[in-house]
Parts: sequence; structure tokens; C-alpha cells
Amino acid sequence: MNALEKLFIRIVQRVNINLRELEFDAKPYVWDLIPKNQMTKFYAFYGIAPDHPLSLQFKHSGLAGSYFLGQCRVSNSLLYKCDVRGDELKKKGDKFQFKDFKIPIFRDEEIVIEDSAFIKTLIHNFSHDPETLEKFFIKDTISTHYANIHGSPSSGCFLGPFSTVDLTTMWDCIIGTFSYVQAGEISHLNIEPGTVWVQSPGAFNFLYRYPIEKLKDYIYFSAGIKPQGIFMDFVESRKEDFQKVFDVVNLEPHLNVPESASLDRYAVIKPKMDIGENVLVSQRAYLENASLGKGANVQENCFIISSRLEGYNVTAHGAKIIEANVGKNVFVGFNSFLRGQPGNRLSISKESIIMPHTIIDIAEPLTIPSGHIVWGLVTNQDDLEVNSISIADLSKIKTRFTKGNMFFEGSGKRFVSAFQDRIHHILKANGAFFNSSDNSDQGHAQKNQNMSFNTIQPYPRGEHEGLFPTIMIQP
Amino acid sequence: MCKAAALHRYLYITFNRSFIVNKFLIKDLMVPISEYATVPVGATLFEAYLALEKAQEEYDHDKYRHRAILILDKNNQVIGKVGQLDVLRALEPKNEKFDRFEDISKFNFSSQFIMRLHEQYLMQGEPLSDICKKGAQIKVEDLMRAPTEGEYVEEDTSLNTAIHQLVRGSHMALLVTRDNDIVGILRLTDVFAAIFHTMKECGIDDQ
Repeated sequence: MNALEKLFIRIVQRVNINLRELEFDAKPYVWDLIPKNQMTKFYAFYGIAPDHPLSLQFKHSGLAGSYFLGQCRVSNSLLYKCDVRGDELKKKGDKFQFKDFKIPIFRDEEIVIEDSAFIKTLIHNFSHDPETLEKFFIKDTISTHYANIHGSPSSGCFLGPFSTVDLTTMWDCIIGTFSYVQAGEISHLNIEPGTVWVQSPGAFNFLYRYPIEKLKDYIYFSAGIKPQGIFMDFVESRKEDFQKVFDVVNLEPHLNVPESASLDRYAVIKPKMDIGENVLVSQRAYLENASLGKGANVQENCFIISSRLEGYNVTAHGAKIIEANVGKNVFVGFNSFLRGQPGNRLSISKESIIMPHTIIDIAEPLTIPSGHIVWGLVTNQDDLEVNSISIADLSKIKTRFTKGNMFFEGSGKRFVSAFQDRIHHILKANGAFFNSSDNSDQGHAQKNQNMSFNTIQPYPRGEHEGLFPTIMIQP
Repeated sequence: MCKAAALHRYLYITFNRSFIVNKFLIKDLMVPISEYATVPVGATLFEAYLALEKAQEEYDHDKYRHRAILILDKNNQVIGKVGQLDVLRALEPKNEKFDRFEDISKFNFSSQFIMRLHEQYLMQGEPLSDICKKGAQIKVEDLMRAPTEGEYVEEDTSLNTAIHQLVRGSHMALLVTRDNDIVGILRLTDVFAAIFHTMKECGIDDQ
């Protein structure tokens, strides 16, 4: 047994100790998921940009195919094809508003990963926990394919494939396959697969749970087997396109994009593409035969295929849009899967909100009216009736309502404005409102253009095969 | 109340508690197992009710009625207990949708919200319409609860300890044992009655 295997055992053991109350054993789920022989095969890389503080430290870790940006420390961990994007971390002197407190940030925030293993996971945003504002910690945690740890410090947790924890501190929790949690702080919870839970204590509480048998067609994960289903087939069938992008060191841009737009060098771009001003396309995004209007953004692990986005669209991490027309100011949440068919297209009218982890998979044309909010599993017009409501009607809810598998309690108005405020913030942070005449409202789309990448390599053989030497990267 | 009076009251109550536990023994207060409603494993819910009714008619003539049935294995050993709540729980509608309401509280929905959900759901159906069918179908072992460690008390244990066990475990009754055999049931209602009977006798209200 080499150092990498010993490290993996240590991580699994630490996670199991934390999850003993939930009687969970991570080993049968993940032991064969991290391809140990591939940990030597892929380089890791990091971005250098004038607009982001640079401080990286890697110690006793495997980092195969992973990307790092900003301030990050990784120790005793295994990361396989992950993105650790520290371009939204708080900076010294910032003020963090929490309820009535305005808390000053006394040093630049950093992401600290310890004793954890991640597979194809995205770690992004900043710590929203007022108790740990300068340290976005993730420890004793395992996450699996296409999970998102977004602004969510974590200790002793397990995340199933395509799960998302968003703006939530989590302690000793299991986040089931394709579950989305945004709840402030959670501990010792076992969240079943297909749960979508958005809670702001004292304001609102939204819960939807997928019919589990139907969800299994899209994604299924169990001990001893790899994640499988339509989601995995979809991404795996395009894996080779990404391989080409990562194999080439210097990739010449082959598409003309406006100066105010940013197309990441590690995104897959296939003909025919039309990119508008202030567009942001992040790495590991996949674009094919699509049009992105002004201010649209396509985040990590997103796929836009044969679709037209009118502009000011947020397509959040991991969302997929196929054969669809998407109106202006439409938000598509994390890991949503929206699939029309040639001749049976999906139309999403302007200013609609597709909740995180929504599946719209149709075999006949379907139009979502403007200003609607949609959740859950929608395969036809009848499903849409059950799994949607107009934003105007939702805003009138003051106490509670239920619809299909969805439960809502609290203020609909506050729920809607929380989403709308966040959408505006995302567009602003991504540079959608950039004004080239006075250089105002710069965001990621403009700042990410001035970025270069360095690669780092693991030990190719021997006791430390697959692990990276201790590396410190400072300005 | 002045300090001296408070001290006097404290000493009085302490003395009387000691008096109560000395005056009554567990074996005096318990219902003997032979007088309790019991059914063997495999009995239906309806048969359990008939056993309860029979025990009521034959043995229990005071105003406190039997509220539970003991389940015996083939060696006549008590392996479980069925209470009134267990019966009502078993008669509630059971399906995936109803079960999903049950765990919604972990998502921090208010108890009022969850109660409304149950009400809405129950109004849609007629949960008690097939009560006869259920009574003949449900087996006692499907709804019984196995006694926990804290539900046993030795016959010669002090009543004080038994009271503590009842309070600590929020139990409605304890199983009284002698040499590992269950010989009776110590009911909360009998202990409660004994204590207040004593209080009444000593005229605590006059102090």
C-alpha cells in the first residue's frame, strides 16, 4: 500500500467517525470511485491574475486534474478533477453584514481543505458563516461527481453525486444524490436523494422532494457502484472533448468574442457559437451551436447545446440547457437539466426562475410563461402546472402553501426577493453590467481575461506516486 | 412565606415522601400479571381488544381502567406491549405520501404547518372507514413495542426508585419482576393515586 492509498483510508476513516451517528460507511461508496492509477495521469494547474490575491499551499495531497485560483491551502487531501475557485473570497477591509452586525474582515479569506477527498467537485464563493469569515474551511469531507460546495464550510460530511450545498455551514451531514441545500447551518442530518431545500430561518422555507423512482432514471448512486443514469451518460459522452482541451498547452482562440466578454481557455467551444458583450464562460463549460446574448454567463460544468440565451442569463454551476430558447433575465439554478428535442423545443420566457436542481425533460414543445418560478421534475404541460407558480402569485403568499411534492412556509415575497437579489448580485459579479465607456461595473468577464495558468505535477512513481510534493506559491 | 415556614414545609414534604414510599410497597400497588390483559404473538388487534375487555370485566373494578395489552411469546414471556396510542397509530392511513409528512419536521417546518398538512391529507380520505378490516388484519406484533431496560423494576425495589423510573422514562407503567419473571404491572395511575391518597390523609392543605 503506497502513501496515496494510506491517505485515502485515513480520509474515509475520519469521515466515518464524524458520521457514525448516522451509521454511514463511506468506503463502499467511494473506494473505487477515485481512480488511484489516474492520480499520476493528470497535472494540476492554477491561475495567476492581477485582480486576485495569490497564495497557494499544497501538502501531502493528490490534486490530479484540479484547478486552483486565489488563496487556498490543501493538506492531506485527494482532489480529482476539481475546481477550487477563490475569486470571490473576502478581502481584508471588507465588511460582512450579518443581521444587525457589520463585521470587519481582518485578513484576506482563504479556502482551507484538510483531510478530504473530492471527485469532480466545484468549490467556490466565500464563507457565509459569521463565525469563520476569514477561513472557508472544508475538513473530513468526501464529495462525489459534480457536487458543488458553494460558500459552504463543511466538517465531517458526505456529498452524493450532483448534490449542492449552497451558503450553508454543514456539520456531520450526508447530502444525498442530486440534493440541493441552502439552509444557513445544518448538523447531523441525512438528506435523502432528490431533496431541494431552501430555507431562511424566520423568513421562508421551501422543500421539494423528487419521486425517487423517477429520479433514478436520471441519476442513481449506491454503495459499490458508480453513479449512473442520464446525467452521467450525458457528461461522459462529452468527456473526450474536454480531454483535448486539457491536453493542449497553448490553445489558440478560434472564436472572435467581444473585448468585454471572457471565454475560458479550459471551456469546450464547438461550432457554431455567437457570443455577445459581457458574456462570461467559465472553465469546464461546454458550448455547442449556441448563442449567448449580452451579459449571459455560463458557469463551471454547464452545457449549452443548440440553444439561444437572449441575455442577462445566469446559468449556474452544472446546469445543462439543450434545444431551448431562453428569454432575457432567466435564471437557471445549479445542476438543472433542461432538455428539449429538435423540433420539440423548450421555451423559457423572460424573467423566469428555474429553481436549482430542476429537471425539465420534454418530448413535445413546452413554453414556460414569463415571470414564473419552476421546480422539480417536469416532463409535460401537466407537470408544469403542478411544479410552477407565477412570481406575482408566489409573492402574495404570507403563510403557507403546498403544491404537488412542494411545501412552502413563510413569506413568498421574501423568497422571491432573495432570489432576485441574488441573481442581480451574480450578474454584477460576473460583469454583465460592465460599461466599456467608463470601465465601470467590471466583473469576472472582464477581470478573467488577464489570466495565465501554470501547471504542477505529481510524483510519477515510488512511495509517493500520485501525490504532489509540498508546494507553496506566493506572489 | 417566611424562611422558617418554608423550611417547615420542606421538612414536612420530605418526611411525607419518605412516609409514602415506606407505606406502600410495589407488590401492593401492582396489578398481578394474571389479572392483566395478555395475548399471544399472532393475535389480531381485535383479539387484543377482546382480551382487554375481558380483563376489565373480570379483575379491574376500580375507576382506573386497563390501558394496555401485554404480548406473550410461546413460553409465556412478555415480549412487548400495545398501548392505546399504538393502536391509534396503527389505524392511521399509511402510504408513501403520509410517511413523507412524518419526517418533514427535520426541515424546520413549524408544527402548525405539519399539523395542517395532516389535516388536509386526512380530510381527503376516510381513514377509519375500514376499521373492521384492519382490526382483523393487523397482528399485535406489528404494533407492539418491546419494553426498554428502564421499564423493568424488581418487586422488592423501593417505590421511590420506581417513581424515579416512571418520571425519567415518561412511562405509563413498569413491568414488575421477580427472579427474572414478570409478576405484575406497576401503573402510573396507581402510584399517582397512592401518593394523593396519602396527601389527603395527612391533610397537607391545612399546613
